[in-house]
Parts: sequence; structure tokens; C-alpha cells
Amino acid sequence: MNELKTFIQAQRNKKPLLLMTHVVYGYPSVAKSLEVMAHLLDNGVELLEVQFPFSDPVADGPVITAACHEAISHQPKLEQCIEDIKALSRQYPDSKLLLMSYLNPVLNYGVERLAETLSGDIAGIIIPDITIQGQRLLAPLDRHGVTPVWIITPDTATERIAQISDTADGMLYCVSNAGVTGQQADGLDNIQSYLARVRQHTGLPLSVGFGISSGEHLQRLAGHADVAIVGSALLKAFNQDELTGVAEKLSELQSAISEMPSGA
Amino acid sequence: MSDEGYFGQYGGSYIPEILFNSQQQLIESFREAMADASFLAQVKSEMQTYSGRPTPLTYCGNLTEAVGGAQIYIKREDLNHSGAHKMNNVIGQGLLAKRMGKKRVIAETGAGQHGVATALVSARLGLECTIYMGAHDIQRQYPNVFWMKQLGATVVPVTTGSATLKDALDEAIRDWCTHYEDTHYLIGTSCGCEPFPEMVAGFQSVIGEEVKEQAMAQIGRYPDRIYACVGGGSNACGIFLPFLDSEVELVGVEAGGIGDGPGEHAKRFNTDQARFGVAQGYATKFLQDDQGQLQETQSISAGLDYVGVSPILADLEEQGKVRMISARDDEVVDAFKRLMISEGIIAALESSHAVAGGIREAATMQVDESIAINLSGRGDKDIFNIAKALNDVAFGDFIEDYLSEAMKP
Repeated sequence: MNELKTFIQAQRNKKPLLLMTHVVYGYPSVAKSLEVMAHLLDNGVELLEVQFPFSDPVADGPVITAACHEAISHQPKLEQCIEDIKALSRQYPDSKLLLMSYLNPVLNYGVERLAETLSGDIAGIIIPDITIQGQRLLAPLDRHGVTPVWIITPDTATERIAQISDTADGMLYCVSNAGVTGQQADGLDNIQSYLARVRQHTGLPLSVGFGISSGEHLQRLAGHADVAIVGSALLKAFNQDELTGVAEKLSELQSAISEMPSGA
Repeated sequence: MSDEGYFGQYGGSYIPEILFNSQQQLIESFREAMADASFLAQVKSEMQTYSGRPTPLTYCGNLTEAVGGAQIYIKREDLNHSGAHKMNNVIGQGLLAKRMGKKRVIAETGAGQHGVATALVSARLGLECTIYMGAHDIQRQYPNVFWMKQLGATVVPVTTGSATLKDALDEAIRDWCTHYEDTHYLIGTSCGCEPFPEMVAGFQSVIGEEVKEQAMAQIGRYPDRIYACVGGGSNACGIFLPFLDSEVELVGVEAGGIGDGPGEHAKRFNTDQARFGVAQGYATKFLQDDQGQLQETQSISAGLDYVGVSPILADLEEQGKVRMISARDDEVVDAFKRLMISEGIIAALESSHAVAGGIREAATMQVDESIAINLSGRGDKDIFNIAKALNDVAFGDFIEDYLSEAMKP
């Protein structure tokens, strides 16, 4: 049984919705980003997605792109990033950490080497510039229990949802709308029918990201998704008021979840 | 080309899932269009009656004599409408976008030539047009920006990253991710995911096809070598590919910039700073650091200032079918002057790289040999940069006078 999937299902027995928060490694500095990660984990986020920055992040919107470029100006090393997040994952055994990056830094490090290094500590990996057509490239990660998280979009055809679901394990990442991270065009109007359509074809936990920024958004996901992914909104909060901003945004999100009916 | 858009180990499709449907639609529409004789006739007709093809192959007797070696011929892509080879691709993709029922096109541009060509064709075909251009390039090439705006295009300055072509390309991909339903991404060079490299190289191949006929008529045989500058690689693919199965030696000339250090040039070949990588939708040789971050590039010409290169050329170079050399900024300005003074042809700084490489090697060849140089664009757009490179003081006075005149109430 897949570790990531088991973890999410076990947590979901206790909670109506889980949170996967996102942090850019090295923004605004390595130390600061680690501080933000520790704060989120101290406050019980179930999943933490750590993005190793890439110079050309085509799936990211302006907030995360700017953070990545700022982070890169300090020349972060993937090797150090992995060491740091492995240490965090051991320090916080009640949460799961996932690595996110683009294909080039991953290929540059070596997929096999990355799989071996992450194995046992990091439950999953998110790479937005590869589709299941390129799945064999990531096979070593799967073999080492570092589950590649595959992406579904509102326009993904039904047969392709089934195909992706067959390839996938752990959880599916359902992009909330067309576009890049941090964008929410239609205010999640059609999210429920979209998730219901995906659900028909998979038994995997569903996570939803892109433009999820408020307690109100989380209410709309309750009962339809398993995990809400929040990235740009926390980064914006950090940019406004550093750790205090993050703490406030997190408590807004967590209190929205605690107010949900437990059967959701 | 193998399945799924690979050229050897290069090419392929590395795109966000959100673009999957749109890309499949594009691949299908492109294949259908290329099999439709009426579409091909329409492209040919536009190339002739709108852009002025065929462009001539000009013999350069004075330059040949001054260099003292092989006979030098210049393929005059500068004489296309818009003043560059970019028009060939834009006509093809513009008509394809119409055929697919798209209402809007988006494009990235470096020097601005592709942006202007896209804006021209959009005006002609009634397409909405948005151009992404690095803020740094806008500074270098404002006259092109001016024309794009006059033509009704929206020009979006891209300030992220190095604020040059690669960042403009990232931003165009993000726009495509958001608006794929009604928008065609009209990429300007033979890079990106399937089918873009093949499609752009295909529309540009008219250059090489014409050279074949013209060389037979004017020289009596094919030239011994063909030179083209290589940024993304579309003009090089266009003149090279039709000659792949011939004896002609194909030589690409990259931007040597100001030196060999990281960030001082835009060479993807003959340097250990570039190696296999995946970004911007495809695999090729990218200039990158030890962490796989794409590097900044430098060149006197905005159009060659690109961090990757056509996967078609990366593969051909690896197979030994294309030889890559480079020319530094100072050698390029010198070649620009020599061509201008001896033949009365004003070349773009991009194309002057091919001229530099060509005349450097022609000098070592025999008089009974011949070379063809692809003059991908004209140099009018470079007037500000060239005036600066030539230290033309009067030009500065003119600008000051112009400003004080323009500021008058």
C-alpha cells in the first residue's frame, strides 16, 4: 500500500479536509524558508510541499515565480535542500513532506540518485512540466517509494483521467482552473462537479490547488476534496508580514477546517 | 523525426498537463493542414504576394575580391516583408491559427522581428495579438515595439528573471496555459514542444529550397558551404534542412558575445557551460549552471540572445551533419561594416554573425569554391545599437535635437 495514500486516508478519518502548504526553498533566504516550514509543521499542517526553485517555472504565476528568482540569486543547492527537508521530515513524523521542482534541476541531479536520497523520508514529488507520457523518466522514484504526484485539470478528458489514475498513486493533484499557480478565475464555481467527475475514475485521494487562498475556498472543497493545496496565498502573506502573516493566514485556513461538520 | 517529436535525444514534449489537449489539437491540425493542397497553396501565395518571395541570391563580387577566397553569395531574407525571415513562419502559423478557428495569437520576441512579423500578419488576418518581450530587449529595440503597438498589438514587457527572450518565452507559455481555448501560441523559432520545432523549420525551409534552384541557375551547382546565424535556430533550419542529403557543408554561427565566461556569450555548442536539459517545453542543449538553472546570455544582437537551441540543430550537430562556430561582438560589427561598404547591404546584427563566420572561412577557401550566407534580416532596426557601436557622435546630436523638438508644446 502506498505510504502517501495510506497517510492521507488515515488523516481523513479524523479530519474533514487536510492542508498541503507550500514553501519556496531559499526564499527569501534558506534560513528564513526553513523557519516558515518549521512554523507550518509546528502548527500541524498534514502535508508540506517544498519547491526547489528553477529559473524558468512555466507553471507558476507571478508570486511564486518572483520568489523563485529571488531564491536563485542566493544559489541554493538541491543537495542541501534535500538534506534540510529530510531532517525536517524526521523531526516532524506526524506530517509528510513532498519535494516540488521542475524537470531540469531533477535531471541535473540525476533521477536515480534523487530517488535513493529521498527514499524513506520524502513521500512524494511534484514535477509540473512532465505528463504521464514521460512517466518512465520518473520510474526510479516510484520504485523507491517517492511517489510522483500526477496532475488532472478541468479539461482533462474522461479517458485520460482514467489513464492518469491508473499510472498514479498516492494522490492526484487536481488543478482548480486553467492557468498558473495563484490564479482563480471562476471562484471555484464548477469545482464540485469537476471533482465528482474525477472521483468516478479513481480511488486515490484528491488534492486541489491553484488559487486556493481563503477559508471560504476551503469550505467549497469540503466533502469533495481530501487535501487543499495553498501556495501563493501563504507566500503573499509572508511578503506582507513575514512569519506573522503566515501565522495569520494559516490560522484562518485551519479555523475554517475546524468549523466544518466532522462528517464532511 | 521519430515519434512524439524527438530528434535523437532532443525535442519531445515537456509541458504542463493543462496544455495537453491544446497541444494534441495543434499536432492534429498541423498534420491535416500539411496534407491539404489548398492550405499549402494559400501559404505559398501569401509568401509570394504578401512577403515578396522568392528572395534573391545576391552575388557579392566586391566582398569576394576583398576577402580573397571562395565566391560569396548572400541569400536575401532581409528583403522579406517585415525585413526578416520571421515572416515565412508567421504566414504559415497565422493561416494555421485561422484554420483552427483561434481568435488570438500570442508570441515571444527577442529582437522584436518576430513580434513585428506576428503583429503584421495578425492585422492582415484579423487576429488579436499579444507580444511578450523582455524589458531589457524593449530598451534595446524600441523601434520594433513602436511598430507592434501601431499595428494594434499589445506588447507586454517581461521583467522576471533576466528580462530577455527566455523569460518572454516562459511568459508566453503561461498565457497559453490560461487562454489555450481561443489562443494559438505562435512561437517564433524552431524550439518548444512538438510540433513547433518541425512546424517552424518546415515553414522556413522555403529558404533552402529557393537557394537550391537559385544556386543551380547562378553557380551551376550547390555552394560548397552554407552559413547561418543560430539563436533559436529557425533561419538556420530553414536554409540547412533542404541540403541535408547533399555534399554541402552546413555551418551555424553562434553569438560569441564578449568572451567565453558564463553569461558573456550565447553559445550552446563548443562550451561545457551548455549541456542536455529540459525546459520551456522541450529537451535540448541549454546553458545552465551546476544546479540546472538556466544561465544568462549575452550578445550584441537581441535575436541570438537565447539560452537553448532548436532540438533539430542539437541533434544534427551531434550527428556531425552541422558544424557550429561562433563570432564575437567586435568581429560581427566589423563584418557588418565590410558587407555594407562593399555591397551596399545593411545586415541585421544577428545575420552579421553569419557574415562574420562566412568571410572568416571564405578567406581560407579556393576561388573556385563558393559559399552562401543566409542574411536572415536587415539592419535598419539596429540603427541605435550600430550608431553606438560605430561611435557616431552626430547620431547623439540628432537624438537630442529630436527630443527637444518633440518636447516643444
